[in-house]
Amino acid sequence: MERVESMSRATLIFLIPAVTAGAAVEFNRDIRPVLTTHCTACHGGVKAAGGVSFVYREKALAAGKSGKRTIVPGRPEESEMMRRVTTDDEDELMPKPEHGPRLGAAEVALLRQWIAEGAPWSEHWSVVRPVDPEVPVVKRGDWVREPMDAFVLARQEAAGMGPAGAAGDAEWLRRVSLDLTGLPPSLEEWAAFSGDRGSEVERRGRVVDRLLASPSYGERWASLWLDLARYADTYGFEKDPYREIWPWRDWVIRAFNADMPFSEFTVRQLAGDLLENATADDLLATAFHRNTQNNSEGGTDDEEWRTTAVHDRVNTTWTVWQATTFGCVQCHSHPYDPYPHTDYYQFKAFFDSTEDCDQNDDWPRFAWVGDAAVAERAARAYGEMGRLRERIGESGRAAVLAAEPWRGIGVTAAVASGGVLTVRDGGEVVASGTMPVGVAYTVSLSGVEGMTAIRMRVRPESDEPKDWPERGCMVTDFKVSVVGADGKKAPMGIREVVADQLTGPFDPLALARGGERAGFGGYPVLEGPRWCVFVLAGPVPAGATVEVVMKHGAPVNSGFQGTPTRRFSFEGTTAVVPEGGRGELLAALEKERGEYRKAGGTSVPVLSERVDAPRDTRLYLRGNRLTKGERTEPGIPGVFGGEAKVGRQTRLDMAKWLVSEANPLTARVMANRLWAALFGRGIVETEEDFGSSGSLPVDQALLDHLAVRLVKVHGWSLKRMLREMVLSSTYGQTSRVRAEVVAGDPRNVFWSRGPRQRLTAEMVRDQALALSGLLSAKQYGPPVYPPQPDGVWSTVYSGDAWRTSEGEDRYRRAVYTYVKRTSGYPGFLSFDAPSRDLCTARRMPTNTPLQALVTLNDPAYVEMAVALAKRAAKEGGTARERVARALRLITLEEARAETVETLGKLYDAAVVEYGADAGQAKLLGGDAETAALTLVMNTLLNTDFALNR
Amino acid sequence: MNTRDLLFTPTRRHFLRGCSVGLAGMWLGERAGAAVAAKDPARPLRVAAPHFPARAKRVIYLHMAGSPSQLELFDYKPELSRLDGRDCPASFLAGKQFAFIQGVPKMLGGQYPFRQYGQSGQWLSDRLPHLATVADELCIVKSMYTDQFNHGPAQLVMHTGTATPGAASFGAWSTYGLGSENDNLPGFIVLTSGGKNPDAGKSVWGSGYLPGVYQGVQCRSSGEPVLFLKDPPGIDRGMRRRSLDALAELNARTAEETGDPETLTRMAQYEMAFRMQVAATDAFDLSKEPKEVHELYGTQPGRESFANNCLLARRLAERGVRFIQLFDWGWDSHGAGKEEALNHGFKNKCQSVDQACAALLTDLRRLGLLEDTLVIWGGEFGRTPMRENRNGQEMAFVGRDHNPSAFTIWMAGGGVRAGTSYGATDELGYEALVDKVSPHDFHATVLALMGFDHLRLTYPLAGVPLRLSNVTKPGSKVVRGLMA
Repeated sequence: MERVESMSRATLIFLIPAVTAGAAVEFNRDIRPVLTTHCTACHGGVKAAGGVSFVYREKALAAGKSGKRTIVPGRPEESEMMRRVTTDDEDELMPKPEHGPRLGAAEVALLRQWIAEGAPWSEHWSVVRPVDPEVPVVKRGDWVREPMDAFVLARQEAAGMGPAGAAGDAEWLRRVSLDLTGLPPSLEEWAAFSGDRGSEVERRGRVVDRLLASPSYGERWASLWLDLARYADTYGFEKDPYREIWPWRDWVIRAFNADMPFSEFTVRQLAGDLLENATADDLLATAFHRNTQNNSEGGTDDEEWRTTAVHDRVNTTWTVWQATTFGCVQCHSHPYDPYPHTDYYQFKAFFDSTEDCDQNDDWPRFAWVGDAAVAERAARAYGEMGRLRERIGESGRAAVLAAEPWRGIGVTAAVASGGVLTVRDGGEVVASGTMPVGVAYTVSLSGVEGMTAIRMRVRPESDEPKDWPERGCMVTDFKVSVVGADGKKAPMGIREVVADQLTGPFDPLALARGGERAGFGGYPVLEGPRWCVFVLAGPVPAGATVEVVMKHGAPVNSGFQGTPTRRFSFEGTTAVVPEGGRGELLAALEKERGEYRKAGGTSVPVLSERVDAPRDTRLYLRGNRLTKGERTEPGIPGVFGGEAKVGRQTRLDMAKWLVSEANPLTARVMANRLWAALFGRGIVETEEDFGSSGSLPVDQALLDHLAVRLVKVHGWSLKRMLREMVLSSTYGQTSRVRAEVVAGDPRNVFWSRGPRQRLTAEMVRDQALALSGLLSAKQYGPPVYPPQPDGVWSTVYSGDAWRTSEGEDRYRRAVYTYVKRTSGYPGFLSFDAPSRDLCTARRMPTNTPLQALVTLNDPAYVEMAVALAKRAAKEGGTARERVARALRLITLEEARAETVETLGKLYDAAVVEYGADAGQAKLLGGDAETAALTLVMNTLLNTDFALNR
Repeated sequence: MNTRDLLFTPTRRHFLRGCSVGLAGMWLGERAGAAVAAKDPARPLRVAAPHFPARAKRVIYLHMAGSPSQLELFDYKPELSRLDGRDCPASFLAGKQFAFIQGVPKMLGGQYPFRQYGQSGQWLSDRLPHLATVADELCIVKSMYTDQFNHGPAQLVMHTGTATPGAASFGAWSTYGLGSENDNLPGFIVLTSGGKNPDAGKSVWGSGYLPGVYQGVQCRSSGEPVLFLKDPPGIDRGMRRRSLDALAELNARTAEETGDPETLTRMAQYEMAFRMQVAATDAFDLSKEPKEVHELYGTQPGRESFANNCLLARRLAERGVRFIQLFDWGWDSHGAGKEEALNHGFKNKCQSVDQACAALLTDLRRLGLLEDTLVIWGGEFGRTPMRENRNGQEMAFVGRDHNPSAFTIWMAGGGVRAGTSYGATDELGYEALVDKVSPHDFHATVLALMGFDHLRLTYPLAGVPLRLSNVTKPGSKVVRGLMA
């Protein structure tokens, strides 16, 4: 810790090569990059060639297969490593010549000095908790408005640089408005700001407070979160059907607008369902991780895609909160970072026991209602239903234990309506042959006199747990008849059904009466041995036998694969299975279910934990789900330490850990993300990777300062953090500098000028709508369909069509546009919006001709140009006055004469041509003047100053 | 140069957008030996040299979405015909996963007669009479196999090397590695026919983790070939020129005021867009082709068809488009209905592609383009030698289920060994046995034909040098036997 802190101070200018004479070697700064660049590909977490690995210190100090110690602290001359990087023998040299160049003299010297100093090791900077760094002392103290400015300035001063001048009011207002709300400032807002006679700090503070309070703020920042959450309105594969999950998108917008602390925002999304007395909003929040893809293609293996979704939840959680490439650990130990293979599956166990299992209807879902009172009634009933089922399950299992002894029942015959059933010695029945969907079995049982209940046991075909789960089996109808000594058959009622677990989309309890979703077994897969008890209406009379008819009416994998029971047997008891008050509980459950249904609402997929039967999470050897290893329990990676908890850790424990003080990454990752959104590049440029393979922070002290402030000073309030950032001198610099200044710091790594960023895909559209006066202020609700060319959607097996929205829905903010994964909105894709298949931590801005085609020719943009022309013409005046008016809408200030003149000349030429061709003019909105002005507006919306902020 | 110096090398603002993701990219690139040369962000599609001389300068990839039956077209199996109608042996079923087949299905013999064609004596069924005339151009790979048995994931594997969406497609890798030879057309163009997009949607031509500039541009064979290509009604070419001139004046002033190099790039991109409007319109105008060419392909300008797309592919190849990806939908011959029956709809599908495929090879040969144009034809997996019995019942029409264990593709031109048949399946065409080729081997081989070492054409993301041949499939190899 001390080490990191001193480093932060010592390296005010990051990336000054290596150590100066006499200074101690710093492992993270000097040595780790050498190891990661040259060594760990072969001697790392995946491969440890020759038994040598440089990921963990104890391994690096140990002997390799050769028996020689790789590193002997204090003794470079005895360390095999030094010999191998310096030898002239090509066969012995490391790195091997075919793998890479030999180490430079400076690198070798660093290694030697490091080993001589005892080879001290420190964990990677990002897994060590941030400490509040001292605010540096700077020469130009007057420039510092927020403490973060001191960090930025100190680095500039040390490099002999200085900040650019302050941005003028117009430049700053446009930038901060677009950054905070995604919309340009209106002329009224400009007038209010420029007319504000307060101090600089007060005036700008007032603007920022207004922007942060605007409902548009949430719409802008939600977009950033929706990329991370891979939010889309469709499932993702093949038919790519509609998923009704927009209420969650609205939840995000509301959460940003309400400035929900990021800690709470985190816990509710990852584990809202596990909070005590979870509210409707808590449940809705968990849809975050139901944004995973669902494969509804006919004949797909539901378990394969369930697993894919769970892995995506693990990987997304690590990218979003930890900026760690945890996905690597799915197949093998992390090549560079200290995460052994088992860490992945321990963490996966947090997510592996939710009910969802790639069902075509996205089950399970929670019906969300807008009306708060109704929503809370529904949430209460929903929660109560879960608790009642838990109690019913517990009571039932106790009752079955109380009815010991259970003894085996002989099977005299077993016939299937298709395929073959074979009765083995001991009464076990096994299925073979072609079992059609819906197959029915008729099984005759003997030696059942006096029995009050029958237990059916189902076993997987394999007895090896590593082979599980197996194909699903689901008994959806179970009827018992008593066959008297005279051969007469009479139906026997089933008083109650008791099952070993009450998980899955089918309800064993309902088998007693039959009904929708009644069924017992493993669905969509059989995860292990199962049992289910059918309590009979009365004991089986003397001399009688029993006939059971069971049907399998619930095919899996989109309805194409049957679910026959493949291996089963029966037991019975003559003891009484105690009722134990379950009748009342069932009645209460029914009542709550009625309450819940009454609430109605939009049914949104959510997380729902299996209460009585966590899945058996096992390590996948080399990441292959078909070759499983040992069982794992939920747990946080060991590198983070952490206190042991009694009992099984839950998803809620994990969520709380992410935002606890013990976590070194979450606050840094979030602070970096906010910084990157405002400044165009993160302090750690690889926003998605803070590990050894990612970029180092260009200024770790600044990053840690922000991370600590976010938590300690601002209590995870993003609005307060953003307020501080946009009011800083760093943010307030002008971006208008001379080309030589740009050339001196082309990527602005010193933040020595203001950020200049191209508008995001959403902003490009929203700004044009706002300028043209068409923008609808309507918030929330189902996705909308702004104009899109015909034929863009043509998905297999899907009747979905793009029904262009009418009225104000045509002009809603981009965040409300329907997101179809397999066919994104063309205008957004061109401007780098991701497809939302997977978590996207960073959009990479491109600059392409296809973008030009969108904003020049897309009929939606032409429509906006027409509207903008009307708006500019409204107050009359000369053509040039109209042009100047439109220009001011973008630049706020009085337009420069030469700019007006350039566009004015375009207008003059156009008006002559349109005058000579009334037909053309009509196509562009009306008479020659209107058409010419529309052309000018179309041009204006394409200017570089319009497309940037 | 060490990585730190590299990071400080003065470059354009968005340099890293074009070539890597930060420091990670630098050292990974270095470690890999020689990554693709750094990209100029202003010209990310500038022509770049591959690792070694290329045999194929461009690719035309004809993907038959849904997967045609190899047993009805290329993989002649007399033994299967003898077993026709018998129960499938249990050994075929153990440990297998099917999309639709249940329990114990019946074996199904090939539905069409086979014969040998050309000097090379290639086996083809009577469904491909035109292709038979160019049999000596074909390199038929009969031993393809994959690990995915559903369309979406299997298509993704064939086009991106990864079964889930999010990876970069073949075409994107090609333009990332080689750039585009035509500044006025996209370097990676996608054309679809059969009425639908492929099952996996646009992810099969996406740029995935590569910069968006490398994604395929879907063009349409009727209407506007590229979205928003046409000037809006009421703005003619002359007017657009004037408007762009005014725009250039304004942007030049912005560039001066801000010193932002991106502004200069934007100016260039607007000019390119203007040229593209003409170039793309011209490239897509089939009416410029003479009558005999239309007869050769069986094309009818103005409608969306595979034949039209083949002719467009040739026109685009002539213009230097790097990767031309065709998808033809409708090959999923389960037999669940007439359209997807081997004895009905499948015949029509064969007819709709046979002539055009042969014409494309003939035409490319005639123009001297076949030498350095690689043509690839195939689906995403094969079909079972068993007859599909959906829901465990015999179906009214004859069809086959998905079979990931064996399928056939063919290649022609661009450095492949013409007139050969590579690899073999077992006696029933169920599993690839001899000289097996995985999708990753296929990628490695095609990249080799294009001049790349597939292990060195990488893009670093989150610490991993990602590649088309899938970094998690370390065994993938170049199949020399396919190369001339």
